[in-house]
Amino acid sequence: MMNPGTIPFLFVLAMIAVTIWLGIRATHASKTASDFFVAGRSVSVFWNASAISGEYLSAASFMGIGGMVMKNGYDALWYPVGYATGYLFLLLFIAGPLRRFGAYTIPDFAEGRFDSPLFRKIAVTFVLVIGLFYTMPQMKGAGLTMMSILGWPYWVGIVVVGMVITFNVALGGMKGITIVQAFQYWAKLFGISVPFFVLASIYGGYPSHLNEIRIAPQETPRLTKDATVKIKGKKDAPVNAMTFPAAGETEILFPEGAFLSAVTPARKPLSGEDKLNLPGMDTNLAFPTGTRLKTQPFTVTQGGIPLLKDGKVVKTALKLEFRDPTTAVISAGSIVPNAPTNKKWIEPFGTLTGKYGYPLLYTYSLIIALVCGTAGLPHILVRFYTNPDGRSAKRTTMLVMVMIGVFYVFTPMWGTLGRSLLPALYANNTTDTAVLKLPMMLENKLLGQILSGITSAGAFAAFMSTFSGLLVSMSGAMAHDIYGRILRPNSSPEARLKAFKVAAILFGAISVGLGVLIESFDINMMVGWAFAIAAASYFPLLLIGAWWRGLTKYGAAIGMLSGGLLSLTAIVISMLIDKKFLSLQVSPIVRTLLEQPAIWGVPLSITVMVIVSKMTASSIPHDVNLKMLRLHAPEEMGVSQDYIAH
Amino acid sequence: MRTTRTEFSTLASQDHERLSQIVMRKQAALSLRVAVVFLVIVLGLPLVNAYLPELANTPVFGFTASWLFLGVVFFPITWVLSAYFIKQSDRLESECTDWRVLLGKPAETQTAFTANDSTNDLTNDPLNDPTSKDKEIL
Repeated sequence: MMNPGTIPFLFVLAMIAVTIWLGIRATHASKTASDFFVAGRSVSVFWNASAISGEYLSAASFMGIGGMVMKNGYDALWYPVGYATGYLFLLLFIAGPLRRFGAYTIPDFAEGRFDSPLFRKIAVTFVLVIGLFYTMPQMKGAGLTMMSILGWPYWVGIVVVGMVITFNVALGGMKGITIVQAFQYWAKLFGISVPFFVLASIYGGYPSHLNEIRIAPQETPRLTKDATVKIKGKKDAPVNAMTFPAAGETEILFPEGAFLSAVTPARKPLSGEDKLNLPGMDTNLAFPTGTRLKTQPFTVTQGGIPLLKDGKVVKTALKLEFRDPTTAVISAGSIVPNAPTNKKWIEPFGTLTGKYGYPLLYTYSLIIALVCGTAGLPHILVRFYTNPDGRSAKRTTMLVMVMIGVFYVFTPMWGTLGRSLLPALYANNTTDTAVLKLPMMLENKLLGQILSGITSAGAFAAFMSTFSGLLVSMSGAMAHDIYGRILRPNSSPEARLKAFKVAAILFGAISVGLGVLIESFDINMMVGWAFAIAAASYFPLLLIGAWWRGLTKYGAAIGMLSGGLLSLTAIVISMLIDKKFLSLQVSPIVRTLLEQPAIWGVPLSITVMVIVSKMTASSIPHDVNLKMLRLHAPEEMGVSQDYIAH
Repeated sequence: MRTTRTEFSTLASQDHERLSQIVMRKQAALSLRVAVVFLVIVLGLPLVNAYLPELANTPVFGFTASWLFLGVVFFPITWVLSAYFIKQSDRLESECTDWRVLLGKPAETQTAFTANDSTNDLTNDPLNDPTSKDKEIL
């Protein structure tokens, strides 16, 4: 019999082949430095919008959001909403001025706006840091997809994506990838919509599944047949945990046995409540081969008396954390571990925003991070320079919002379907793969494999197009800003073009290396890092820099650095606590602010910018009003200029 | 045609200031107006969820009202807002294409035939200047 991964693999292969072919074709048209850095500034609104959308819809969007909606329900809807909103803010405050200013890169803007070469160096560092943080999850997505389709080693997908895209970028630069990314947008839209329609026609649509979930608020998904799941070990914490439901029994078999690193009650005892006496709570516990475990909820007591809340007895169940990877078979009819109840899932303030007890604070901070982060991602911003003028930059943004909006409407549909049809994915925290796994469950195996092939190809399009954009922005920063402006200011355009190609290969190799190293990192976590830094550094720089003439280079640089670095520190501390490298006891409110720093990071960055600028008002560029005119005056007035004339 | 530019570059700093204020003020007001509408929606929804849960969880076509809004309806709203913004923004721009009018100077300057000096050009590269065609007409 044919391997079930063969057809999906062929689809992925076709996607890669088309990507290379389009890249080579576009290369013939890509000759000048301007073609390489900004696609000759001649991309039409439709194609540019397709390309931006293609670049923007990354692994996190294609697989991650569906997975997060499946895992956290309503709360995860804020992700697509935040991504789309970020675009509106770009349109309102940044897109037009930035394009008019006529720079190639954000570092160009930084230097041009403040007349400070030093600022270029700071800005270029941020391009590279944010770029690499955002590259890692794309790489991991590629590795995981190959693993899940064909069972190939993790590094294979990474090397394939890395080589193909490095080849395209080094050969054709921005112009070379524009048509490829535009194509990949449509491939992704096809990949997320068509297989869903087929599945919905068989298993029922989006509203009907949601309705079933809504009308049974106390239920938790049950398995309809035995499910075998691979469990991860402690090095992948926190996804090595299995939290059993307080609503009923779960029967689970460990055919290979299991080593546990912790057994705790799922609900942390509050002060005054009795400590539970669980076996192995403090020591490592081992299940022999073939252990069959039946978990039952138990009653929370206070001074030996059952605790009541709203007239009902409070119950909880076990949380197991595994030390080593193993396999588990969960019996049919069991409630699946790790899944929230229907009520918690479909209603706001569930398992994501409610996890530390400050759901409103968490929600607002998340919204700010997503909105401001989107508006500050360098690989997105660099795209505005490919528009012929400020007016078309606005039109492009509008079209991008339609394109990504249509795409994002589909992502929660996959999460909803996953909850109804494939609850086994909860058990080992692999809801991220719902988009790839759902089509496989069709009775008609051939159709299932074809649909899975389409979603797999869509996922590959996502990694490749986003990585293309990141590689261009990083290579551009290296060749244009570091080589062309800092190291060799007198170099010829040809030399810079060569530097671009060398930089593309260099960063391609670094990205592949990093991707292989970060197998145990969580995709959403890494995207979170990139957003936290971008939100508190680039977004304030661009917003304040474009609209407030009083901003000085000192204010901008210090504000950007303090906001960006403190946010990064907070989020790294939060991650270390999650991974149990750091056993820090912090209050839930602090914990919320560490995990979602945008709500203080962005205002902090802006406040520092304003205060330091006021203190250093003497260093406001003398021609700041002329700069403001260049940012804001319509092209017809004739004051805008290309900051760099190649 | 050259005159326009030469004359612009001889403008005093306070003229630049006045001009940039005129150009920016209306655009900023428009951007803020749209942003406020939008922020009320985005930041108001969590409050509705928190303090009016019955409303948020009202069933609508199988969805809860809040889910339908955030997961579906929200996106077309962003389209409408951005379409409105672009239309208004273009209108504002078309109102301030001539800086002489904005500064209260006569639109047709008498210097149109006198100066041919282009050495003070604002743009480094006139061929690259997307606006040079428009100035021909001026």
